[in-house]
Amino acid sequence: MIETEQIEVHLLHPSEPGDALVFEAKLLLDPELRDKIQWQKEAYRMVKLYGRNQLKQEIEAVHQKLFTQPEHLSFSQKIRRLFTNR
Amino acid sequence: MPGFKFSNRDAEDREKLFINLYKSTFPVVARYVGKMGGSFDEAKDIFQDALVIYYEKSVESTFELKTNEKAYLLGIAKHLWLKKHKDSSKHVPIDGFDIENEEPAQASDLKILNFLQTAGKKCMDLLRSFYYDHLPLQDAATLFGFSGVRSATVQKYKCLEKVRETVKEKALTYEDFLD
Repeated sequence: MIETEQIEVHLLHPSEPGDALVFEAKLLLDPELRDKIQWQKEAYRMVKLYGRNQLKQEIEAVHQKLFTQPEHLSFSQKIRRLFTNR
Repeated sequence: MPGFKFSNRDAEDREKLFINLYKSTFPVVARYVGKMGGSFDEAKDIFQDALVIYYEKSVESTFELKTNEKAYLLGIAKHLWLKKHKDSSKHVPIDGFDIENEEPAQASDLKILNFLQTAGKKCMDLLRSFYYDHLPLQDAATLFGFSGVRSATVQKYKCLEKVRETVKEKALTYEDFLD
């Protein structure tokens, strides 16, 4: 757990004071730690992709709501009119 | 609205935010895209991409909106339109902000993502709130029903380790992953 936290600081907050030097020294001696860092980086990238995908779905749901529900009819008609008569 | 920040960011708050932004800004973006000869679907795609960029920027702790959100969103949308319809290598800066070009997701990314989503949606949702939505610790703890900040943090790292192991294991089975 603590190690995962240290890797996080190393990857995401490198300028934060802490045991940076101790960590760097450990890194030199421990190939397994280097491996973990590499995969933790990938894990963050995956979480970001996941977050972005979820957000896009939320936005699409809002779009569907605005363009199908009768209460938003005047809004959707206003937009649609911009693309007709051309 | 300088220094604008979301106070809370659960799904309901985001829905309200996006409805408001749609109502305030989609008409001007659609008008712009229409004027440039684009279709309704193009306007929709560009506006939705702009919303994602706006959201990601606005949750960063260093973000400060120097203009109103409507002007900012329109700026991003115009940038995206020009980028799409001009030479793609040409750099179009917007209002002092730089939209970084990220590598698009690979097919292997999507496979892993799919797996993570099915095998551990709870963990992914928790990690999303920390690392994507940048929710303050206390808010995340409340949202996910933890007794306090400490137990939320412990769970966060447990999830992160689980995802790290899964990503490693899966990646090694998909050849194109490290290309």
